[in-house]
Amino acid sequence: MEPAEAEFLAEKELVTIVPNFSLDRIHLIGGDLGPFNPGLPVEVPVWLAINLKQRQKCRLIPPEWMDVEKLEEIRDQERKEDTFTPMPSPYYMELTKLLLNYASDNIPKADEIRTLVKDTWDTRIAKLRLSADSFVRQQEAHAKLDNLTLMEINTTGTFLTQALNHMYKLRTNLQPGESAHSQDF
Amino acid sequence: MSEAYFPVGPGLGLEENFLSLDDILMSQEKLPGRAESTLPPLTFALGQGVSTGDSIPEGSKLEIPLWLAKGLYESKRRIISVELPKIYKEAWRTVFSADASVVDLHKMGPYYYRFGSQLLNFDNPENPEIAQTILQTFISRFRRIMDSSQNAYNEDASALVARLDELERALFRAGQKELNDFQCWEKGQASQITASSLVQNYGKRKFTDMDG
Repeated sequence: MEPAEAEFLAEKELVTIVPNFSLDRIHLIGGDLGPFNPGLPVEVPVWLAINLKQRQKCRLIPPEWMDVEKLEEIRDQERKEDTFTPMPSPYYMELTKLLLNYASDNIPKADEIRTLVKDTWDTRIAKLRLSADSFVRQQEAHAKLDNLTLMEINTTGTFLTQALNHMYKLRTNLQPGESAHSQDF
Repeated sequence: MSEAYFPVGPGLGLEENFLSLDDILMSQEKLPGRAESTLPPLTFALGQGVSTGDSIPEGSKLEIPLWLAKGLYESKRRIISVELPKIYKEAWRTVFSADASVVDLHKMGPYYYRFGSQLLNFDNPENPEIAQTILQTFISRFRRIMDSSQNAYNEDASALVARLDELERALFRAGQKELNDFQCWEKGQASQITASSLVQNYGKRKFTDMDG
């Protein structure tokens, strides 16, 4: 999977916008959206929010977690714990990038948010590396990785699965095959 | 999706993958052995050094390619005997257990893991140790490959891969692709539509055809 595909999936997430036009409820395959009334907040998918924002048809209200104080708390928690902490959204990285790129004027302290999310991301990736290494070193058979997001799995997925594949095959070498004379275990 | 074609991966282990180009190349690697009975002339397989037309006398030393050795080797009939290449011998196994990450696996035979797995086809008393060493070597070199492949962005990677075996190079490339894809997305280049690598290569191909 490519990052662009993960981003595509993230665009299905709902955000709140305040439109400045009026439109009746619209019926789409994915569900009904609207009605849109000027000044009344309404929930729409990210792809629509970005489109409306680009045409200056709405004002975006950032998700609750996209706030400097909350993100600082998440970052500190992430640094303190050895395991992965739950993220406020399964698409936090993608949403941060999308919303900050297209609607940074509606999000207070956009630059700080960008840095905080990036810090959290870096901490998590470092943790992922560390646990992958100890997983391989101890030749474990399975691991549980809770609270990882799609984008994070994506950065190391192919590499890790390929390496584990090799390792599995090298390990089956240790056991004598059917043709060998003795199997004493 | 993003690849022009999907190459068949090498079969790592006792069995080679019949359709894998990597495994075909690997089966050309030679290993030291000895003729246990008089053999017909095999110049085509053994290359120079063996005089043409003569049959090979019993007991002469040979450098046999893996594919031929696998065919001729049979523990009952003793047509040839096979020795371990020196990198899989006791002395080198000690080196690997001391610190595997300093060894230049590319120089020592670019198919260390796969060739080593193939050697297990020949009944050798040291087989369990060989298998164990290969596995441990992979494990101890894993961290370095992971870190270097996922951190070297926009760098000349030739120094990093110089000491890697072919299997590790494939892993390195997988890591680099993931890193590049992610950086590309982060910089916003992923949303730009580019020509498929297949189309680009097609253009190049035609140009050289016209020249020649």
